[in-house]
Amino acid sequence: MTELLVKNACVIDPLRSINAETMDIAIRDGRIVEEVSGAAEVIDVHGMLTMPGGVDSHTHICGTKVNFGRYMSPEDMRAGRTPRRGPLHATSGYSVPTTYGNSYRYSVMGYTTLLEGAMAPLEARHTHEEFIYTPLQDTMANTLFDGNWGIMEAIRDGDTKRVAAIIAWTLRAVKGFGVKLTNPGGTEAWQWGKNVSCIRDPVPYFEVTPAEIIRKVIEANELLHLPHSVHLHANNLGTPGNYTCTLGSMGLVPDLNKKRQTLYATHVQFHAYGGSGWPDFCSKSEPIANFVNMRPQIVMDMGQVMFGRTTTMTADGPMEFNLYRLHHEKWSNHDVELETGSGIIPVIYRRKNLVNSIMWAIGLELALLTESPWQCLLTTDNPNGAPFVRYPEIIALLMSKKYRDAEFATVHPDTAARVPLPAIERELDWYEIAVMTRAGQAKALGIQEIGKGHLGPGAYADVAVYPIRIDEVDPSVDHQKVIEAFGQTEYTIKRGRVVARRGECLIDGSNATFWVKPKVSEAYDMGKDPDFIEKFDRYYTVRMRNYPVQEEYLNRNRCIETEAEI
Amino acid sequence: MIVKDAVCPFCGCLCDDIEVEVDGDRVVAVTNACELGTKKFMGEKRLKNPILRDGDAWKDITYDEAARYAAGMLLSAERPLLYGWSGTHGEAQCVGVHMAELVRGVIDNTSSVCHGPSILAIQEVGHPGCTLGVVKNRADLVIYWGSNPIDAHPRHLSRYTRYAEGFFLDNAFRDRKVIVVDVRKTETANIADEFVQIKPGGDYAVLSALRAIVRGKTETIPRTVAGVTREQLVRVANLCKGAKFGAVYFGLGLTMTRGKYKNIRNAIELVSELSRHTKFTISAMRGHYNVYGSNEVNTWMTGYPFGIDFSRGIAFYNPGETTAVDILARKECDAALIVGSDPAAHFPRKCLEHLAEIPVVQLDPYPNATTAFCNVQIPVAVTGIDAVGTAYRMDGVPIRTRQVLSSGYPSDREVLLKMYTLMQEGKGQ
Amino acid sequence: MTYLMITGRTVNQGVTVENKTSAEYAAETSTCFMHEFDMMELGLDDGECIRVTGPCGEVVMRVSASEEVETGTVFVPYGPYANHIVAAGTHSTGMPDFKSHEVEIEPTDEEPKTVHGLMEDLGGLAYDR
Repeated sequence: MTELLVKNACVIDPLRSINAETMDIAIRDGRIVEEVSGAAEVIDVHGMLTMPGGVDSHTHICGTKVNFGRYMSPEDMRAGRTPRRGPLHATSGYSVPTTYGNSYRYSVMGYTTLLEGAMAPLEARHTHEEFIYTPLQDTMANTLFDGNWGIMEAIRDGDTKRVAAIIAWTLRAVKGFGVKLTNPGGTEAWQWGKNVSCIRDPVPYFEVTPAEIIRKVIEANELLHLPHSVHLHANNLGTPGNYTCTLGSMGLVPDLNKKRQTLYATHVQFHAYGGSGWPDFCSKSEPIANFVNMRPQIVMDMGQVMFGRTTTMTADGPMEFNLYRLHHEKWSNHDVELETGSGIIPVIYRRKNLVNSIMWAIGLELALLTESPWQCLLTTDNPNGAPFVRYPEIIALLMSKKYRDAEFATVHPDTAARVPLPAIERELDWYEIAVMTRAGQAKALGIQEIGKGHLGPGAYADVAVYPIRIDEVDPSVDHQKVIEAFGQTEYTIKRGRVVARRGECLIDGSNATFWVKPKVSEAYDMGKDPDFIEKFDRYYTVRMRNYPVQEEYLNRNRCIETEAEI
Repeated sequence: MIVKDAVCPFCGCLCDDIEVEVDGDRVVAVTNACELGTKKFMGEKRLKNPILRDGDAWKDITYDEAARYAAGMLLSAERPLLYGWSGTHGEAQCVGVHMAELVRGVIDNTSSVCHGPSILAIQEVGHPGCTLGVVKNRADLVIYWGSNPIDAHPRHLSRYTRYAEGFFLDNAFRDRKVIVVDVRKTETANIADEFVQIKPGGDYAVLSALRAIVRGKTETIPRTVAGVTREQLVRVANLCKGAKFGAVYFGLGLTMTRGKYKNIRNAIELVSELSRHTKFTISAMRGHYNVYGSNEVNTWMTGYPFGIDFSRGIAFYNPGETTAVDILARKECDAALIVGSDPAAHFPRKCLEHLAEIPVVQLDPYPNATTAFCNVQIPVAVTGIDAVGTAYRMDGVPIRTRQVLSSGYPSDREVLLKMYTLMQEGKGQ
Repeated sequence: MTYLMITGRTVNQGVTVENKTSAEYAAETSTCFMHEFDMMELGLDDGECIRVTGPCGEVVMRVSASEEVETGTVFVPYGPYANHIVAAGTHSTGMPDFKSHEVEIEPTDEEPKTVHGLMEDLGGLAYDR
């Protein structure tokens, strides 16, 4: 039995509606408990800001495309290097760090739980292999279903239960967590070098529309009672005027779940563009935020862009090709048979560039114009908008009008005419930041019930203590102190152990992988479905028996079983 | 006993539909595999136990003695080289990276002498590719350039291209055209619809000519380019532009000839150009069954696919400096650990002359050419036969190999972990 | 006479590659495939021995007539015989010029060495002679 007592913590724990109460946190054997014995190790944090460990509900850290981003970018690897020391391994990389680099840097910022945003089922084993080498965070993977042949055929046949059955079989086989749609239908069209323009465009051959895919997969997701909602990267990412497409997609979403949203719309900054082309490109954050404000069934994340070099990577292959034609940088693409695709290019977001400046403003606007912080979570779609190490700056921008104005003065001069940002006075408070960086993310992922994102008894003892006293710092003025505090915890505690302290990781931990196993009836077990088996054998290049990811690939296996309605 | 859906640990095709019939601890029959795979499954004459060179003789030693020897060798070396890795599973490769990091060694894999130049090209211009099943189901044009699958990847044609069924092709054999580009009229050239024979060293010029034609600059092309007529070049360019889905598979014919990575760069840029007209992809014909896995493992753990030098503590990468052939030819390393490859058969003689002068430990199931340069050789189980583990197919699809029999030999990972543990103890960790 | 030597994989090299100390592997990788016209010029019959001299040494191989190679070019299956004469320079790429070596070829009465013999010439000690 190991016990730890964190004393005199100034706790913000939104899932329990605790806002800056000074209290002690008792930990036993990796879990939060009511109290510990006198033998417990004691850490006195002297009123420092203390929150549940950070949760990133949309980041790209592990798997085929992330690793290809590293593979093709020695220049990025050189841009961030640390040697092996103590229990820590060497790291490389700035925008796409090695697995150890990701893990250590996230840990130093207080993050203990990460969701990989896009895992191709056929290559899931790769994602899980990299999870093993991401030692200081618990991990889970969104599984891609945007171009899944079986699902599109079932939708064409009007068979929502079969859609659910295929999702259930696949999640179970690949040890996936949630259902991800990336440019639904577009990734299949891209395997012919084509795309879908918006949600009413039929997918070649399959003759289903993105709208049908989105709606049916949402219904299937709820039939399976998955912890997380459908996680949507909408069609038409990055194109001027795409906000109408985004609104159209959001308009498809009924309110089907009492506990959480019915749709998680990711990196919405990239989907909130006005204009008919690049010359009149402008922000449409207001209509998007207004729409979300009226619909509790939708949660989004920011996808904030920050200036500087990064690497873009997504399952959205056609979008990356368009980006390649704009930037003429190196371009990689990787289509995955019967399932999905991906693309990668490096980019530099520049203050001197008007479009980039507008993108920067839009992300902030979405967060500031969305009334409830539970509905707009803080992300950069790491590393697409910026590497996650930029989060502290984003927090500071959201908390300080003064800092925003100072930054705004440095961007392209025409930006002011294209965005509402300068007129927005709102400054977020510490509680709202806690929602946007852990509590809201845990709730949106549906993992609060299994003890993530809060500090209630029974929860995982994942705690972040930031070296700042919120009664002494005015974030609207002292933005530099905010950046420093969120950049480096005083203590990061993961499963009851101190894993990082003042910028140094202390141990080589081992993570847990959360995955979902929906229980379906015999009739809906695709593993026994003759048609499913026959198509698999004929058109995949991997045998069906060799497809499922074995449990050997899970460090600590945290299987979440659900009772499906099929 | 018959093991179904076994995974063939020979080439980068990583065929996973093999049936292996086992009688006790012997493979007696192999179905579905090509000649190369069958031979590997039926392999005999394994080394029975670890051996140590003692002057002009060899003596048997235990696994513990061998592990101690290797750990001591690596700990006392100033610049150890850890080379090979393509012929083993990913889990063992991971241990190898940790070992290299601990002793500040250089870790390199066989891609430096196969598709290393392809990786250099990808690092310049990227890589538009796809999984093999995308090609199987869609491609109506396949180009083999400087690769000879009939000899090196015998089932590539039947599983993924020429003789494969495809979802979007009514009659795949008839509807799918195959072009072969090579300096020799290989066996593969004989089954092609179009054979383009290039003068040795002329690949770069031919690729440039095709790019020009695709861009509409046919008038700039001379009557012949590296032995290929303008008419044929125009015909090939039109076949490419007219295809619904084209796939290029290139081999060592591009990476090992004059121009090396610049050839690959040019080929990738041709494909990027064609992507503006239709769907086109390009991929390397990776040789060893898990050479791609060694690139993947090295990349997520160190940031670089091969040729990683930890001498400064950080991971440092500079092919031509930190790659095995160069380090051996410069007589730089003072110890070598070889795993899952046979550099003595595949490296230039100058490298072997240095191997003869330094302590060498090799993990390999069989006596091979490198055995002659070893101080210690440790026999291990063969991944896919008597050991399980992860391998990455040439297109990046990871597959877990199956164990078809039990031999009692330890796996590479087990032996390496034993060494690594001893090394950590030696370092006081 | 000077020829361009190209090395590459063959099925026979592949099936014997896990047993590199076998006679079959030695036979395959010590075979130099040559165009008939070039053989006539050198007065060679199929299976006769040749001395191949490269930038850093010489090695004895056996010639085999092949329609696959052009005149002026020879093909040798990838292995220890070709590598006995391949230079180690990589032009800062890590990759030697495995497919673009100029070699001199002349008839000889010597027989190709065994793989063991080659390795021992370079300072190795064969295990299972």
